[in-house]
Amino acid sequence: MNTLSTYLIVAAILFGLGLLGVLQRRNLVGMLISIELMLNGANINFMAFNRFLAPEPAVGQIVVLFVIGLAAAEAAIGLSIILALFRRLRSINVERAQQMRG
Amino acid sequence: MSWLFKDPVLFAAVLCTWLPFLSMAVILIFTRHKPQLSSYISIGAVSTSLLCALFLLIKLVHAGGPVEYKTAWLIADDIVVPFGYLFDPLSLLMLLIVAVISFLVQVYSLGYMAGDPGFSRYYAFQSLFAWAMMDMVIAPGMLQLYIFWELVGLASYLLIGFYYEKWSAGQAGKKAFVMTRLGDIGFFLGLILLVLGFGDLGILAMNEAAQTHAIPGYLITASALLIFCGVIGKSAQFPLLTWLPDAMEGPTPVSALLHSATMVAAGVYMFSRIFPFFAASPTAMAIALAIGTITMLLSSTMAMATFDLKQVWAYSTVSQLGFMVMGLAAGGYFAGVFHLTTHAGFKALLFLCSGVFIHEYHSNDMRDIGRGGGRNLKIPMVCMTVGALALSGVFPFSGFFSKEAIMGVLASHPNKFWLLAGLLGALMTAYYSFRLIFMILFPKKIDATLPHDAVHHHQEKDAIIEIDHELDSGHGSSHDQAGGHGHEEGHGNVFWYMAWPLIILTTITLFLGFFQSSLEAFLVGHGAEGHAAEGGHGAGHYALLIAAVSMGLAGIFWAYLEFGRKGASQEGFLGRLPKLETLFANRWYIDRFLRRFLDRAIYGGLTSIFTRNDRRIIDGGIDGFCLFTIGSGRILSFLQSSMLQYNLLVMIAAVGLVVLYFVV
Repeated sequence: MNTLSTYLIVAAILFGLGLLGVLQRRNLVGMLISIELMLNGANINFMAFNRFLAPEPAVGQIVVLFVIGLAAAEAAIGLSIILALFRRLRSINVERAQQMRG
Repeated sequence: MSWLFKDPVLFAAVLCTWLPFLSMAVILIFTRHKPQLSSYISIGAVSTSLLCALFLLIKLVHAGGPVEYKTAWLIADDIVVPFGYLFDPLSLLMLLIVAVISFLVQVYSLGYMAGDPGFSRYYAFQSLFAWAMMDMVIAPGMLQLYIFWELVGLASYLLIGFYYEKWSAGQAGKKAFVMTRLGDIGFFLGLILLVLGFGDLGILAMNEAAQTHAIPGYLITASALLIFCGVIGKSAQFPLLTWLPDAMEGPTPVSALLHSATMVAAGVYMFSRIFPFFAASPTAMAIALAIGTITMLLSSTMAMATFDLKQVWAYSTVSQLGFMVMGLAAGGYFAGVFHLTTHAGFKALLFLCSGVFIHEYHSNDMRDIGRGGGRNLKIPMVCMTVGALALSGVFPFSGFFSKEAIMGVLASHPNKFWLLAGLLGALMTAYYSFRLIFMILFPKKIDATLPHDAVHHHQEKDAIIEIDHELDSGHGSSHDQAGGHGHEEGHGNVFWYMAWPLIILTTITLFLGFFQSSLEAFLVGHGAEGHAAEGGHGAGHYALLIAAVSMGLAGIFWAYLEFGRKGASQEGFLGRLPKLETLFANRWYIDRFLRRFLDRAIYGGLTSIFTRNDRRIIDGGIDGFCLFTIGSGRILSFLQSSMLQYNLLVMIAAVGLVVLYFVV
């Protein structure tokens, strides 16, 4: 049970769910949460490879910490964009933000 | 900098050529608002240059061969463009001429320009000119010569247009600049041709290669002809000669320095600089001879028809330059350079004398000056007569010797036509110079029909000759006002500032001729073979001498008959031939022809093709490209649905395809 492929499958499921969420949710906050899911899927991959294959175990952990930091920053920017959009459109539905239609 | 102080010759050379530049910079940057100080700085610089030039001459007179200091300035593959100094007899002589005349003219300007609002600017430009001219003279390579040649042209432009508030002065400056530039294009093309074909622009190298036939003949002919275009522009030779008379719009000392003695002689100097190179191409020499002759004859006739003092000397300058080119092109290296030397002296003298008259009577018209009592100004009158005698080639004066030398060269030329043309030119030269002298000396008194006062300002336009006086006191240029200011001070300092240079130049004119043989030994070499090559020293020589002098005397006598003797009509033969007079006064319609040529060939032909190319191809191409971009943007914009998630989907699909591609 405690093998590499288990972790990879869990990570893939997490990533796939995130991707699905980003693509089909119309709520911008929902999309942001789905992106977090995808990032976490990637993080699990990093940790799994780090645990089972890497000769130098510290590298994967550093990358993961880095990704977590990045995710926090991304969430802050994303939320502020959503806030600005909400002030303008009174909605956080992505379909309302279609003003640049060609 | 220690290399500078090790060699006194190099130190003197650098001092000589770069002090005027320093003075220009100091005047323009710091002392613009202190005119007196500016003039002292400039005169100080140029007098130091004069001393250095004298020192160089004394130091290097027995050097034997040319002395060269140069560094490689531009290096491209095996082509090396040098920058530095070349001292041989020719450049030393010319350096001294430039320094002496610059110095005298700058001293003279203290009087002439006194009180002018642009006094500092004037001296800054004078310094600019001195710097550029000296650096041109000592250039060891044609490219350096070309650079300073253009800078000299810039100084000329700035000084012609010195009274820029006057419309005609600005126009004249522009005309001079554009017309000389036209010739310089040819010059530059010639240099490029030479670099491509020969690969060295060093003057010594060029001359040597031409003599030893290291350059193919066709290349010499082609590049010599192109380089001669530069001479045509700068020295106002035949098709481009009309800018020089117009350049008289500048202050008179400027005309004396730039537009008679030194700058316009730069063309002739360049010709003599690479004389062996030119001499290697008989075709180029023949064309130069023809152009010099045409120039000399045409401009002599023009000088007969004008009443403007400065215009007469301007035409005379053009004709004497043509004469020098004739001498050089007929193979007389020494004769041409000697005439350049003497001409620099006596023509500067003539202009400076005219400046005194113009300053005193506020008119350029010789009739006004005569009526105003021009003969009462003893010193300038005597000096001007001496200058005119030298110009006509009368015995004890310097012009006699140099004209004689050129006549000798022309006589030894197989085709005697050139000699006849030269003699005819000498006749006309004497006639027009003494027409002027007699008109001032013996003014015609009765003139009831014409109002007469000192504010008269007679101007001759390009196209319309105005025989009648025109009252345009409203046109009083700042030049006249400056003159008025000077006049108030009477014959004090101002007069003597102007008189001393005249006296010095007169002395030079009187005695320079007697140094002919020593100058010849200096320039041509110490051997006697130079003598034989110059020709004309034989039994025929005396006949020729008598012929030339009698031509000059005949011209003076002719002028006396028509203008000098009591009861003379002062109309001249031209007055009885109005058609001819119109032709001469309109400069043989050269200006009009050039204008028409410009309109037809350039604007009508060439420019319209270029305009078409511009409108259709360049503009059309850019417009087409823009329309294409806009159109394709319109089409592509249909892909933009502005739904964030569709974009994402496409992106992920694309990444998926890439992954598929790599995996499978």
